Amino acid sequence: MSGVPGYGLGKGLAITLKTLVSRSTTQQYPDVAPELPPRSRGVIALREENCTVCMLCARECPDWCIYIDSHKEEVVVPGAARPRQRNVLDRFDIDFSLCMYCGICIEACPFDALFWSPEFEYAEYDIRNLLHDKDRLNEWMATVPAPPAHDPQGEPSKEEANALKKAGAA
Amino acid sequence: MTAEVTVATGTGGLGTDMVLNIGPQHPSTHGVLRLRLKLDGERVISAEPIIGYMHRGAEKLFEVRDYRQILVLTNRHDWLSAFSNELGAALAVERLMGIEVPERAVWLRTALAELNRVLNHLMFLGSYPLEIGAITPVFYAFRERETLQAVMEEISGGRMHYMFNRVGGLKEEAPAGWTSRARDAIGLVEKRLPDLDRLIRRNDIFMARTVGVGVLTAAQAAAYGASGPVARASGLDFDLRRDEPYLAYGSLKVPVVVRTAGDCHSRFEVLLDQVYVSLELARQCLDRVDQIKGPVNVRLPKVVKAPEGHTYAWTENPLGINGYYLVSRGEKTPWRLKLRTASFANVQALSTLLPGCLVPDLIAILGSMFFVVGDVDK
Repeated sequence: MSGVPGYGLGKGLAITLKTLVSRSTTQQYPDVAPELPPRSRGVIALREENCTVCMLCARECPDWCIYIDSHKEEVVVPGAARPRQRNVLDRFDIDFSLCMYCGICIEACPFDALFWSPEFEYAEYDIRNLLHDKDRLNEWMATVPAPPAHDPQGEPSKEEANALKKAGAA
Repeated sequence: MTAEVTVATGTGGLGTDMVLNIGPQHPSTHGVLRLRLKLDGERVISAEPIIGYMHRGAEKLFEVRDYRQILVLTNRHDWLSAFSNELGAALAVERLMGIEVPERAVWLRTALAELNRVLNHLMFLGSYPLEIGAITPVFYAFRERETLQAVMEEISGGRMHYMFNRVGGLKEEAPAGWTSRARDAIGLVEKRLPDLDRLIRRNDIFMARTVGVGVLTAAQAAAYGASGPVARASGLDFDLRRDEPYLAYGSLKVPVVVRTAGDCHSRFEVLLDQVYVSLELARQCLDRVDQIKGPVNVRLPKVVKAPEGHTYAWTENPLGINGYYLVSRGEKTPWRLKLRTASFANVQALSTLLPGCLVPDLIAILGSMFFVVGDVDK
């Protein structure tokens, strides 16, 4: 530290000068979309045909912001002794004004019906519009990126391990 | 000696004391902390921190959440140390259940906890000068934060609420090439951090505002249970990472940054120097992660139930000691999860620190106590 008054100030201004002549770090957000990693938690997408209405996501949600309604339908399978019961999804809403973006529902889903998408531009003027119904959640499916490959030092993902096992069995 | 005092209309007969409220809505309180001050002119006679404006009942909410859902809430009481918080809760449950965490997860957790510490400190290194009038450093601090947040987002998906710990390890494996990208980010921040350092540490105006202001003695710090950077700036040489190692800290050499002056400037310096230390520690952890093969979590039963008993897990969070006292009755939710937060204890010291100081110094002292209101009110 120097005893000269204003030395610290001068040093600081030198930094300012250095920054002034170097490239700026500003991101031109609305014009240039940010590059988000595939794991980024932006919005939850629903693949409706994978949902079996098991209700695990709605039960595991820490603030219970998933609303599910369903009814049972009979499906007559040719050759079977009696008609099969099948759950049909009537309503699958996620209230993003309550959602804490923890991802527990996606982790809990045993049938790969829920996915994270990095999309984030769905702000609304009215809080009620943050309740996304199953059609809206379905639309997000198009934006779901492929998951990143795991570090080779670690364990492969469950999907990879299962695929390998299947390939080995065949 | 008699003094003649002229007071504003309406204060006649009240003496010279003036009661002033700072907050709950005041930019320098980082949220909703309220201070009731008794003033004699510009001098503070007494100060009383009034807390609770952001009380969300976290401890009660814990009692009706299972152990995975609890992590969501622990993320949020101190939103700047989210990773360290969820880590503490996970450690408590793991200890009660007797789960051995895989080595790879331990080192990854240590690396992420240190990166989280850097992110937390950078926030205060930017906002503290801002509060006392230096608006430039915050841009430099946030440039570094952004670099590290990108790394955290890539592995966990979150920028603040990581939600990456699980009972028994981590949520999932790191993406391929993440460790080298994280090392690059650390290198970049290390290279640019001297900018922030030179900009503010020895700045004459900054020093005039902070040196010798708000001196907290080691005895006072200990008496109030202050911990973390605030206590270490007063010469209280205590760091759980070294003194009661958890995670992989036992096999790391943790240099503890200590100052003895106990004033605002030394508190700021401890924070700044800890950033260098944490970046180095994170790099060492990442190197170890690259050498260890294996899983990052353990297979859990379908319903995670902590056996009957109790345990106290404390961790050295960025702002100080954070503890979870977990009492379980064998259910899938805790019977009680008591939270000991760093900010709560540190803020209490304000009532001895503020009396005697001037009102303009008050903001300098308040900002240098480095607290998060959510962590105070829980």
